[in-house]
Amino acid sequence: MNPADVPLRPPTTSESDVTIRDVEQVERALIDASTRLPVLFFYGSAIVWLLLGTLLAGFTSFKLHAPDLLANVSFLTWGRVRPAHMNVMVYGWASMAGIGTAIWLMARLCRTTLQHPLLLIGGAAFWNLGVLLGVSGILAGDSTGYEWLEFPPYAAILLFVAYSLVVSWAMLMFRFRRGDHIYITQWYLLGAFLWFPWVYGATQIMLFVVPLQGVMQEAVTWWFANNLLFLWFGAIGLGTAYYMIPKVIGRPVYSYHLAAIGFWTYALFASWTGMQRLVDGPFPAWMITASIAATILTIIPVATVGLNHHMTMRGYFGLLRYSPTLRFTVFGAISYTVFSLVGVLISLRSVARYVQFTQASIAYSHLGLYAFFTMVMFGSMYYIVPRLVGREWRYASLIKLHFWSSTYGVGLMVLMLLTAGVAQGGALDNPALSFTETSEYVPMYLRGRSVSGLLLMVAHFVFAFHFGLMLFGLGRTASVPTFLNPQEEEALEARL
Amino acid sequence: MKGIVPLFLGIFGTFAFSWAGLILIPNYQIGHLDPQMDEDGNDPYPAPKSGMVDRGRRIYAANGCVYCHSQQVRADYAASDIDRKWGERRSAPRDYLFERPVVLGKMRLGPDLSNIGKRAPVEDEQAPTAASPTPAGPTTPQASPATNPALGASPSTPPALSPSTAVAAASPAISPAKVAAVTSPVPAPNAATTAGTTVTANGAPPPYSAAWHHRHLYSPRSLVLDSNMPAYHFLYDKRRISGERATDALKLGEGDAVPEGWEVVPTYDAKCLVAYLMSLDQSHALKEVKATGAPPASAPSPAASSASPAPAPTKGPK
Repeated sequence: MNPADVPLRPPTTSESDVTIRDVEQVERALIDASTRLPVLFFYGSAIVWLLLGTLLAGFTSFKLHAPDLLANVSFLTWGRVRPAHMNVMVYGWASMAGIGTAIWLMARLCRTTLQHPLLLIGGAAFWNLGVLLGVSGILAGDSTGYEWLEFPPYAAILLFVAYSLVVSWAMLMFRFRRGDHIYITQWYLLGAFLWFPWVYGATQIMLFVVPLQGVMQEAVTWWFANNLLFLWFGAIGLGTAYYMIPKVIGRPVYSYHLAAIGFWTYALFASWTGMQRLVDGPFPAWMITASIAATILTIIPVATVGLNHHMTMRGYFGLLRYSPTLRFTVFGAISYTVFSLVGVLISLRSVARYVQFTQASIAYSHLGLYAFFTMVMFGSMYYIVPRLVGREWRYASLIKLHFWSSTYGVGLMVLMLLTAGVAQGGALDNPALSFTETSEYVPMYLRGRSVSGLLLMVAHFVFAFHFGLMLFGLGRTASVPTFLNPQEEEALEARL
Repeated sequence: MKGIVPLFLGIFGTFAFSWAGLILIPNYQIGHLDPQMDEDGNDPYPAPKSGMVDRGRRIYAANGCVYCHSQQVRADYAASDIDRKWGERRSAPRDYLFERPVVLGKMRLGPDLSNIGKRAPVEDEQAPTAASPTPAGPTTPQASPATNPALGASPSTPPALSPSTAVAAASPAISPAKVAAVTSPVPAPNAATTAGTTVTANGAPPPYSAAWHHRHLYSPRSLVLDSNMPAYHFLYDKRRISGERATDALKLGEGDAVPEGWEVVPTYDAKCLVAYLMSLDQSHALKEVKATGAPPASAPSPAASSASPAPAPTKGPK
């Protein structure tokens, strides 16, 4: 589609209109300036963690087919590097990127400047310290052994302190918002900001302060992991997509009613998932069945959100050719649908029988945390960072390289892990095959996964380099954003 | 949407609803169990584990064993775990009463370990008397309840029980030794060169004995050729032999043979980890679980355990 055909907003001619728009422009600039330091600090830290996590991931993946590598070094043993990678990605990269985006969106949507931004920088510093302590603890052999919660309690406390600072600032902005309209993104962000401390705090208490007995600890762990995935990352990711897609194409969201249905069914059903990961384990069957039912019901919010985005985008898909933000965000939004459908599929008892203890569950987490959340975060960074540093991204080619290596990397990884899961799961179900025979199916796929890791490594280092250029003021000085394909730049210039 | 109050209440409500439904009520149901006793109030199961085993569990958790090994047996109608001889019955909440952290596991890149201790050969506590190989296997009168595998690695027992190793390996009735011979890359004649008090047919200890676990942790591929388990050298000390060779020194295959005058001994952490592995046993019958495997999992009598000393799989590690 030719972008020149895109219907433009009617030109504003009356004098009062122009003045209002000018005021809004200045206001936005002021808000952006007030969030500059904390958001850039959160982004910068997140990207450093992303690089570290990527290196750890590569090491983890490689050690799976070179198991004797560095066997003498306790802190580089596979069983410590793997949780280190996962926690760096979850708490270092994804959470910090998410908080950065959420703060900026909150300030923009509440139309308030951020007061005392230095305190938020303190929050970010504490958060970094918590992640650093936690990861060092894991590598030193202090891991708690609960998946997604390996950070030793002393690091968790720091994270909690840091988080309280962040959430108080978000709440303050919300309290002093201007205008009484609350946009969809704000529902999701408010939800994320409140759900995270409740879920995290409750879990820490139930595991370390007044520990529950026996298998209930495992139930709490999976309740936490799924709520973190859906109510924290999922809510921030969806909220961001609800902002970025309409913003970039310059068109309101298709339906508010659909959005409301999507939000509340999401909150209700997604929070009840988690126990499906324990299918046929030593638990009462009803709680597992309840979670499976909830997982199936998440089709409702997924369908409403997907439909809403699709209808908003309709007629504007041609813009994917130009806007980096839109391309990353739409990829993430589509992945969200795929992620949820895969989640439904592997939660069914008849499928879980085969894939439950295999690589398929790792494919599922990567679909959620990478293909959906991380891609949406990349998209929001491509939108927000130029507004913070006052420069445009320098090289369209680097953005394209980033997008394609990320896309192919995560696509290959998910494909490899899902196939490995199905292959091994089928073999495991056949007791005539000895265990070593069943795991013969896995290594070749793990090698394929290592290749995908290389692609992701390229993507992340390219992005970090590009971000570094922006940070040090080496971006382009221009009045138009950087488009992926510059040919018809002028046609777009009129609109964006 | 207008109005902050409904939004806030809704957000809190969904959290509270899911917490109550998935945590509070199940905790009411299975969060306050007691060990099961027989009619006379004896034979409690599960029993609290020793300090060494508890420390071993923490080492198991801290070194990420849980990312490849599960510890749960699914019911026979739901999976083939029981056909795979990973257990005789499905796991139940009561099996994990004293576990903290509980390490059920989500992944099976390695086999399930719920009953790995149960699958150890019945070891002879009074080992020295059995040092001479008995062709019929360890059907020695000493096979008493004290030989319960859960106690096999109690602190009083050195992990590398060389005499019992000899017994087990010399017995043609115990097939796992043969399996080890098949899967071990170590040619049999070389085993004779290994410095050690006793040498089995190929130098490999019987599967799932404490000595086997130590060697497996130190050098997994010397016992299971295709394994991709990491080697845990850092749990072992490689040192010069001062005076006598330590009784718990590892008997290694050719691939990892140490220079003359050196030995590899387990650290205390390694001993705890192996004690923990040897303690994993869910074979005790539970009232709430229907036993499906054969033989019926009633409390194993001493006679039964001595008649079939190694209920370990006959087709190799499954």
